[in-house]
Amino acid sequence: MARKDFLDVGSLDREEIIRLLDQAVPFKELFTRSVKKVPALKGKTVLMLFYEPSTRTLSSFEVAAKRLSADVTVFDVPHSSVTKGESVRDTIDTLQAMRADYIVVRHRLSGQPAAIARQTGASVINAGDGAHAHPTQALLDAFTLREVYPQMEGKKVLITGDILHSRVARSTSMILEKLGVEVAFCGPGSLVPQTSYRRFTNYDEAMKWGPDVLYLLRVQKERMDADFFPNDREYHNVYGVTERRLEEIKDRGIYIMHPGPINRGVELCDAVLDYDRCLISQQVENGIAARMSVLYNLKPQIS
Amino acid sequence: MNLFLQGGEVATEDRPPFRSDVWIVDGVIKAVEVMDVPEGAEVIDCSGQVILPGMFDAHVHFREPGQEQKETIFDGTEAAINGGVTGVVMMPNTSPAIDSPVMVQRVLDLGEKCRIPVLTSACITVGRRGREMAPLAGLKKAGVLMLTDDGDAVPDAALLKRSMEYASEFDMFFASHCEDPQLAGPRALNEGAVSYRLGIQGTPALAEEICMDRDIRIAHATQTHLHIQHVSTALGMETIRWWKERGARLTAEVAPHHLMFRDEDIGDYDTHYKMNPPLRTAEDNAALLQGLKEGVFDLIATDHAPHTEFEKSQAFVDAPNGLTGLDTALVSLFDRFVVSGEFGWDLIVKRYSAEPRRLMRVEVAEVSVGKSADLVVFDPQKETTFTKEFMKSKSSNTPFLNKTLRGSVEMVVLGREVLFQR
Repeated sequence: MARKDFLDVGSLDREEIIRLLDQAVPFKELFTRSVKKVPALKGKTVLMLFYEPSTRTLSSFEVAAKRLSADVTVFDVPHSSVTKGESVRDTIDTLQAMRADYIVVRHRLSGQPAAIARQTGASVINAGDGAHAHPTQALLDAFTLREVYPQMEGKKVLITGDILHSRVARSTSMILEKLGVEVAFCGPGSLVPQTSYRRFTNYDEAMKWGPDVLYLLRVQKERMDADFFPNDREYHNVYGVTERRLEEIKDRGIYIMHPGPINRGVELCDAVLDYDRCLISQQVENGIAARMSVLYNLKPQIS
Repeated sequence: MNLFLQGGEVATEDRPPFRSDVWIVDGVIKAVEVMDVPEGAEVIDCSGQVILPGMFDAHVHFREPGQEQKETIFDGTEAAINGGVTGVVMMPNTSPAIDSPVMVQRVLDLGEKCRIPVLTSACITVGRRGREMAPLAGLKKAGVLMLTDDGDAVPDAALLKRSMEYASEFDMFFASHCEDPQLAGPRALNEGAVSYRLGIQGTPALAEEICMDRDIRIAHATQTHLHIQHVSTALGMETIRWWKERGARLTAEVAPHHLMFRDEDIGDYDTHYKMNPPLRTAEDNAALLQGLKEGVFDLIATDHAPHTEFEKSQAFVDAPNGLTGLDTALVSLFDRFVVSGEFGWDLIVKRYSAEPRRLMRVEVAEVSVGKSADLVVFDPQKETTFTKEFMKSKSSNTPFLNKTLRGSVEMVVLGREVLFQR
């Protein structure tokens, strides 16, 4: 049965994930053609509702929707009544009148897209809520990993950085686990909570675990200001991919992933971007295909 | 008035309910024994029902003045009556806060218009801001016994100590909402697996425990009676036990929801399970229940905290903390704990009727000869469905909304008045 919303990874089962991944393959093949569009969502409206600044995810969704021939409206939150203190609930009531079929939401508060989904018959897609979930990122990560490892089961992915505040860590770890991948977390003790996943606070120990992929998270400056760790220099030396560490990574053929945007000199050194097993730009391209697959598979309940 | 409650079982605080008729004339209990129907008495058939003294809730938020859209004092007391509660103590975090004799007088005047007695606590510090001491002697004179900045702890330990030293002359007591504000963070839910899954910063148990340690030590050093409000953690319960065994002047309360629910119940951001202190874990539920049965907790209090449907429909972090409790407490305690044999009616009478009245130094309600009538008829066979319409609180922010539980409050009598009969 087709679902209305795409809010988190927790509610997806393995079969559904694989169907979404399989569906993304022909969409990606489309990108190499001269006409990159299919008419699947012709006449449908996709509304972008981004309460948090984002260029990458917003553009990725926009391109995905347009390649499916949908009409795309970007609701300009910074210049809207939201800044006059209008509640999200009231904003949605107003936007209902536009009769969008799909609403893509990003919000700083965990759970806000779920609250919106309960309020509207439009399909709601979570484009990132607080530290809770970023399910389309998870899907594109799984898609990217499957391209390099068609048999993912038993592979090891080490997610490094600010796990505590990361919706990417939460969603990507969960989707990989559902696909049989082993996941471990590594980072400063103040940023890696106790969870069901293997936990490292020492880079070398984590590398001894034998990861096939090193998934780096963006280190946010505001965490440094809040004293979760002392400064970026120290972070880079203790947990970052330094030039010396990159040599070992190359020797072992470990892949590198990152959800972007990157911080050069913090979680990675510049040379990582020239490494042939760095999958960062591949992730960006796959993001469009994965999001097309999500849009294509949802069923709005608009009367 | 000449009422004869026939065939029920009378509950007391120190033994299991016993079979007895109850005869009430002009608001006074004339007889508690198995007897013939007195001439001219109106007979109420109570067979299979339990007759309890009226409950007393020492921790309610009535939002008046300032946030009457959530609850007024009148609606709050009607919710109490609906749930078999015949006396309440308001918390002072209204807007403006109850921090002066004038404000105390104002809410007590509003309370006078209600059908049950309304007492109020008052702030320790002006405006609950934690910066300067409220006029404690004046508050006492206006009728206040309990001092609390409930909703928050007094952040400045030295100010709390001085307030306790100063208040020693006026024979009042302090009640603590225990919470270290820095450790507590945004105050949305317990820190643990659920806060990780939902991606919201949690409030660790130790935010409560550290402040509890601090407040008890200050009270102990200044020989002040301290009451700990809404304990939510296992270690907090053990802390109270430890200090009580050392003879500290300490009382404590536990809320029904901390016995019944846990953070996992939040599920997919259900704001009806958002309160402060937050729901903790199954282990905490078990420890708190143990503490209640062993007398570590002197009383049960609901922390009745109404919020509008709109407020609770916001995103989890934005939605305010709290749930209503007055309409549901007695039935839910029966449904969850008496039915299963976890504890008996005597515990409910002791902890939700007698002890809170002793704490507030008001006459204990008892179903016994010569006492003024203050009683509840409870039907253990019937069920109650807590619809919006059924509940008398202005708000319906409770996990029990539209749930059906065993037990029903059938009748409440206070003095010469039958407050209701279903």
